[in-house]
Amino acid sequence: MRSNSRTFRRIGAVGAAVALTVGLAACTQGSSSGGSGDDGKTVTLNGERADFEHGYELAGEALQEITGYQLEARNVPSTENYQQIVRSSLKTNSTTDIIKWWNGYRLQELARTGGLADLSDAWDTAVDEGWVNPDTRDSFSYDGKVYGLPMYKSYWVMFYNKTVFDEVGISPPTTWEEFESNNAKLKEAGVTPLFATQEAGWTSLIWFEELLSKIDPEFYQDLMEGEEKYTDPVVHEAMELWSDMAGKGWFTSPDTAWDNEPSLFASGSVAQVPMGTWRNGLFSQDLDEGDYGTYMLPTVKEGVKPSVVVESGVISVADNAPNAEGAQAIMADWLNPDVQKPWADEIKDTSANPMVETDDPVLMSTLEQVQDAEPMELVRYWEAGPPALVETGVQYLGAFMADPTPENIDPTLQKLQDLADAEWASWEESE
Amino acid sequence: MPRTATEALTVHGRSGVRRRGTARDRLGSIPFLLPAVALVGLMLLVPFVATAYQSLTDDNGFTSSFIGFENYARLFADPMFGQSVLNTLMWTVGTLVLPVGIGLIVAVFTSQMPGGRWVRIAFVLPYALSGTATAVIWGFILRGDGALNQAITFFGGTPAASGWLIEWPMNTIVMILANTWQATGVAVILFLVGLQAIPGETVEAATLDGASGIRLFWHIIVPQLRPVTVVVIGMSIANSLRVFDMIWLLTKGGPGGSSETLAVTMYRETFILSDYGYGAAVAVILSIIVVGVSWAYLRQQFKAK
Repeated sequence: MRSNSRTFRRIGAVGAAVALTVGLAACTQGSSSGGSGDDGKTVTLNGERADFEHGYELAGEALQEITGYQLEARNVPSTENYQQIVRSSLKTNSTTDIIKWWNGYRLQELARTGGLADLSDAWDTAVDEGWVNPDTRDSFSYDGKVYGLPMYKSYWVMFYNKTVFDEVGISPPTTWEEFESNNAKLKEAGVTPLFATQEAGWTSLIWFEELLSKIDPEFYQDLMEGEEKYTDPVVHEAMELWSDMAGKGWFTSPDTAWDNEPSLFASGSVAQVPMGTWRNGLFSQDLDEGDYGTYMLPTVKEGVKPSVVVESGVISVADNAPNAEGAQAIMADWLNPDVQKPWADEIKDTSANPMVETDDPVLMSTLEQVQDAEPMELVRYWEAGPPALVETGVQYLGAFMADPTPENIDPTLQKLQDLADAEWASWEESE
Repeated sequence: MPRTATEALTVHGRSGVRRRGTARDRLGSIPFLLPAVALVGLMLLVPFVATAYQSLTDDNGFTSSFIGFENYARLFADPMFGQSVLNTLMWTVGTLVLPVGIGLIVAVFTSQMPGGRWVRIAFVLPYALSGTATAVIWGFILRGDGALNQAITFFGGTPAASGWLIEWPMNTIVMILANTWQATGVAVILFLVGLQAIPGETVEAATLDGASGIRLFWHIIVPQLRPVTVVVIGMSIANSLRVFDMIWLLTKGGPGGSSETLAVTMYRETFILSDYGYGAAVAVILSIIVVGVSWAYLRQQFKAK
């Protein structure tokens, strides 16, 4: 009797433990979301940028007037959750018609699974109308076909707080020496010169790509394509510079919350923030247009070709889109200036349509500077390589930010190179 | 050998009679069990089997192909996995010693001392917070520009340049402490319940036998708390093995994976790197560890009884 009850208890206990852990294991299973309006006139869109909500509404109104289709947008605020939802639903019929994604290798990764619809016709129309720069086609294509249209075009520049600059008596630098002396003066005045954090994961790539591309933009491009090595002296030079700047106390602590960036910048505790113009919408909420501006980070040495990192979110159509016809119609007019104008004005970033002008003074001045400098346009690290390489790469860079000593440079670069070797091989294997 | 008063009471209190049903009774109970069994099977066992199968595939979320035990081979060759296991071990030891130990001490002292309930509330209250809220609060405290470093500066100290969340093992240790702040409450509550269940006669008898102070606590109170301790420790083990929210919100397992535990590795591999098969393999390993440890622990406890 006794042993019997013990057995039951044992079974019960093990059962409880199994139940608990099986629940855990079950967490890795995906879930889906989506669905489309049933009137045939609604086209659904899923994205991960909650701050675009109003922009979608305005663009949707314009699109409805032109195409007769109504755009219904929804958002998943976490990038990770969003990617997971798209991955698990894209090839089912519970996908939304349109999804927001990223250009470059991230788009290729999705396109080669066969989950995206061919948008080459919409692209060709846009090129014929002069709505998009035909040179950028590669960054939205896979295997010769276009699979995404640009949502915006962000330039990575240095945002600076004008009030702080005036107080310290400095002006935007035009050479690397000026940049360094500005930082020294800011530091002396008790202001943290530069924002940097590894807290959000991906943010560790910012200074890596900025420093490397300002030393040698062509090398940066080749490195991203897997044609150069992380163990090359050029990368070493960039890391030394990074380490030196960190040693001088020019950066915020590497665990600073990424979400605090706009408030730190607005309050003047941090004087300069290297950032894509897509963040301009947030900065403009806390600062008046006269209180902040942008400049292009100078090259480290004279004679180096000026460069700027660019980035475009994309919108793509699911191959399984419940309302494929409507989605294609929306795409055909997405780059239409009548749609792009209200959209770009609302999100306060540059439209991918060169005909659409901005009315935001900070953005206007940024575009003028870019036009004057005629820089080489570089793809951001995030989109410039196989996603698995980038995601683990930013971890290694984050670890370097935590310990930015000269001794840590070689081990970090070796790890990055080993990773690049493995991930490029695996990327090519999947082709 | 004459029994002490305490022993006599303890032995008497434990004897119980359990009714054993006939075969017919047992058959009759099946319909009552079915809904629960079906629910557990459908919601837990099926996904588990699916995950176990997924761990044998190369799955990127879109396409999947069977690759046998390759994911497991990669897993054991991955240095990050070793780091992850080490951190998980630190969490397990940390949450066994701290919340359980502090919980027991707080429960015993506050149950006797005047005004103890107010002290107790201070320990129990954080338990009402979600893990996420706790992590956000501790983020404000621990970051480089956070409250702790500001306080250190205010009192004339110099905060460590390495920060609290940046370097291993410091980042894992402070997160275990932050978790202790939150998790102690439930241990206090459970131990209090256990203390109230100790018959006054047992303590009286022990006192008559001449026990007091530490001796009374160690030889009388602690053994009587055993059933509760089994539950508290069992819960702590399971909780420490699956800790996720605190780490994800404070460090995302970083920098460079230095503060990752198995649950975080599972999440990162699956949802960040979209390597669903590899993530599933981590999940299976984690499940085996949790079930194994819980089973071994509970079995040993029941046997000892």
